[in-house]
Amino acid sequence: MAERALQQIISQLKSHPNAPYSEASKLLSKAKIALLQLKVVTPSPSTPSSHLALATELYEAGALFSIRAKNAEAFTRYVSQLQPFYELADDAESGGSREESRNKVTGLYLLLLLTQGRYAEFHSELESLSTRARGSEEIERDRYLGYPIKLERWLMEGSYDRVWKAMKSREVPSEEYGVFSEILTSQIRSEIASSSERAYPSLPLSSTKSLLFLDSEGAVIDFARQRGWVIRDGQIFFPATEGAEDGGDEKEISQMVIENTLGYARELETIV
Amino acid sequence: MPGKTPHSNGKEPVENSVRNNQDVEMTDEKSSMKGKGKKSVKEGEDMTVVVPPSKATKQSSQPPPADAEGDISMDDPDKEQDLEVKVDPVTQAVTDIKSNFALLDRAVALFDSRFTLRALRSISSLRKRLTPEIISQVIAETFPPTSASAAVAKQLLTAIGKADVPLGRLSSTDMEIDNDSKSPKNGSKKEIKDIIPEIDIFLAILIQVHLFDSKQFQSGAEFSKSLADRIHSLNRRTLDSLSAKVYFYYELFCEQLAPLPPSPRSPIVAIRPTLLTALRTAVLRKDIDTQAAVIVLLLRNHLLTSHISQADLLVSHTQFPENAANTQVARFLYYLGRIRAIQLRYTEAHEHLTAATRKSPASNCALGFAQTATKLLLVVELLMGDIPERATFRASNMEQALRPYFLLVQAVRVGNLEDFETTIADHADTFRRDGTYSLILRLRQNVIKTGIRMMSLSYSRISLRDICIRLHLGSEESAEYIVAKAIRDGVIEATLDREHGFMKSKEVGDVYATREPGEAFHDRIRACLGLHDESVKAMRFPMNQHRLELKNAQEAREREREMAKEIQDGDLDDDDLGGDFEGM
Repeated sequence: MAERALQQIISQLKSHPNAPYSEASKLLSKAKIALLQLKVVTPSPSTPSSHLALATELYEAGALFSIRAKNAEAFTRYVSQLQPFYELADDAESGGSREESRNKVTGLYLLLLLTQGRYAEFHSELESLSTRARGSEEIERDRYLGYPIKLERWLMEGSYDRVWKAMKSREVPSEEYGVFSEILTSQIRSEIASSSERAYPSLPLSSTKSLLFLDSEGAVIDFARQRGWVIRDGQIFFPATEGAEDGGDEKEISQMVIENTLGYARELETIV
Repeated sequence: MPGKTPHSNGKEPVENSVRNNQDVEMTDEKSSMKGKGKKSVKEGEDMTVVVPPSKATKQSSQPPPADAEGDISMDDPDKEQDLEVKVDPVTQAVTDIKSNFALLDRAVALFDSRFTLRALRSISSLRKRLTPEIISQVIAETFPPTSASAAVAKQLLTAIGKADVPLGRLSSTDMEIDNDSKSPKNGSKKEIKDIIPEIDIFLAILIQVHLFDSKQFQSGAEFSKSLADRIHSLNRRTLDSLSAKVYFYYELFCEQLAPLPPSPRSPIVAIRPTLLTALRTAVLRKDIDTQAAVIVLLLRNHLLTSHISQADLLVSHTQFPENAANTQVARFLYYLGRIRAIQLRYTEAHEHLTAATRKSPASNCALGFAQTATKLLLVVELLMGDIPERATFRASNMEQALRPYFLLVQAVRVGNLEDFETTIADHADTFRRDGTYSLILRLRQNVIKTGIRMMSLSYSRISLRDICIRLHLGSEESAEYIVAKAIRDGVIEATLDREHGFMKSKEVGDVYATREPGEAFHDRIRACLGLHDESVKAMRFPMNQHRLELKNAQEAREREREMAKEIQDGDLDDDDLGGDFEGM
C-alpha cells in the first residue's frame, strides 16, 4: 500500500520538475512517511531491492528539487541520506539510468562543495569516486562528474577563462548545474580581482571589462568602487596594499632571533 | 590528457626521452611487485625489528638473515643445521617453538612484556618452517589430555585440520636434544597446573600465520573470529601484545576475502564493529599495544574503502597512545599523512610522512613500508612546491621502485607539462596501485607554476604569447590569468602589462636578507633537540641501579672524609694524595 503511494508520488514529482518547491516538499514529506512505513529510511542489506530503488529515487528527486530551490542545506541532507543506499547498490547490478542519476547528484554535490570552498571534502569525495569499480579516466569523461572535476582543476590552475567558457557553453550537463553559475561567476571575479591587484600596476578601463567578464564599463566602475579601486583617466589604479610594514617586520625578526638564541642556550644547558 | 591508454608500456618503446623503456619497465615492475609482496610480509611480522635488541640475546637458533631475504628456499638454513647439529628440521622447529613458551612463562611471572615481544619476534624465523604437523605435534606435547585447557587445544587442532591427534603425547626426540635447562622446565610446567592462556594464544597466532601463508583465508577469518571472541573474554595484561597480533591477522584475513576491499561489501566493513569494541575495551583496560594496533587497523580499513571522512573522524575522536610501539607509530603516521594529503593539508601530511619514513626500520625487513611511505612523501613534497632531494632516488633499495616518481619529479622540476603528462600516462597503473594517482593529478598546477617561475627567472620580460606556447596552455588569456594568479600566490615577483601583453620580472632580492635562512636553521635545531629529548626518553635503566650508585657515592664520601682526616692528621704523602684524586 505504502509502496504504491510512494510510486505515485515519485512519478508525480518526475512529471513536474518545475513544480514550486513548497508543493514538492509537501509531497516529499508524504513520501518520507511512506518510506517509514516500509522501514527503508535507513537501509540494511536485508532490505528488498525494489524498496531500495524506490527510496533512492525519492531521495534523488528530493535532492534535485532542493537544488533547484537553491536550498543547499536540504540538498546536503539528501546527499548524505543517499550515501548508504549507494553503497548498498554498488554491488548489485545497476542499470544505466540509475548510474546516471547517481552521477548527476554526486556531480552536483561536488560542485556545491567547490563553490563553498570545502576543498578537503571535495577531494575526499573524489577519492572515493576513484575507487569505485571504474577507472578515473571514465569518471572524467562522465558528463556529470567530469564537469566539476574540470572546473576544480581550472580554478586551481587559474585558467579562469576556461571556467567561464565552460559555464557559458553547452558543456553544462543539466539545468540544475546552472544554479551554481552565479556563485561561481562572482567567485571567479573576486579571484581575478585579487590577483589583478597584485599583478598589474594599472589597468585600462576598457580591457578590464573583458578581464572580469563584465557586460559594460558601468559595471566595471561599480565593481571597482566595491573593491575600493581608484579610477583616473580611464585607468584603474590599485591602492597600495603594503605600506610601512618594514619597520615592524625588522623588529619582529630581531626579537625572534633573540628568542631562538635564548632557547638554544637553555636547551644546551640542560644537555651539557 | 593525450594517450592515456593503460597498456602503453611496451607498445611505444622508442617514444620520447624515456630511456630504453622496455627493459627498465620490466625490472621496475618486478621490483615494485616484490616490494608489495614484501610489504605484506613486513606487515605480518617484521616491523617489530625496530625494537632495540635486548641485552640478553637468547633468540631462536635460526640465523637471522634467512628472513630478510624473501626468496631463500626453506631448506638452506635447515641443511646447514643438519651438518652442524644433526637434527631433524621438524624437531628443531618444535623445540624452537617450545623455547618461546619459557619466554612467555617468564613474561607472566615477571610481568614484563619484553619477554612476550621477544617470543613474538621469533615468529618471523619460525614462519617458513610451520606445517600443520609441527604445530599439531607441539600442541599435543604441550597440553595434557585431562585439563581444562584441553578443549582449547582441541579447537586449535581443528583449525589446522588435525583434530584426530591425541593430546599429551610425550615425544622421545624431545628428550634427546634438550640438553639444557629447557626440558626440566617443560616437565615441571606440565605438572604445575594448567597451561597459561598466553601459550595457547601464542600457538593460535602461529596457526593464523600458517593459515595466512598457505592462503586459507576463509578458514583463517573464521578461526580469527573465534579467537578474537576468546581474547575478549580473557582479561590479562600479559596478553596485550599477543592480542594486538591476533586482531592484526584477523584484519588481514578479511582483506583477502571475496569482494575485495574497494567494494563496500567487503568483509572488512563487517569487522569494523568488532575492532571498535576491541578498541573501546583496550582503552578502558589501558592496553596500549592493542589500542595502537587496532587504531591503525581501523584507519587502514577505512582507507581501503576510501571512507576518508570517517577515518578523519576516527582520528579526531581517538587518542593514539603516546608510548606505543615504534612500528605502530610509524604506521599510524603513514595513514594519518595519507588522510591529510587527500584533504589538501599538505604541511601536516608532510610532517607525518617524514616522521613515518624516519621511524620505519633502517634494515631491509620493512622495505615495502619504507618504499610506500617514501612514494607518498615525494608526491606530497611536490604538491607543496618543493623538489625532493636527488639522493632519495639513489638509495639502492629504493631506486627501482621510485623510478616512475623520479621521472615525475624531473618533469615537475623543469616545469615541462608535456613530459609530465606522458609520465602520468606511462605509469598510470603504477601510480594507481600505489594509491597516489589522484594526488599526482593535482600536480598539474605545480608544473605550470614551476614553468612560470623558470621563465620569470630567465627572462626579464617575456610576452604572454611565448609563455602560452612554452607551457602548452590553451590560450593567451589563460596564460594571463595563470600568471596573475602566480603573482598573487607569491610564486614569482613580476608585473603584467595588459596593453602590450607581456610579463616583466622584478629584480630578485637577496634571500639571505630575509628571515628564511634563520627559519630553516631554527627548524633544524629544533629537530635535533627533539631527537635528543626522544632518545633520552627512550633510554632504559636497569632496576635498582640507582641504589648501587648511591652506595658508591656513599663510599666515595667516606673515603673523602677519611682522607680529609688523614690530611688533618698530616700523615699523607703527596704521591698518595695525587693518586687518590685521580681515581675520583
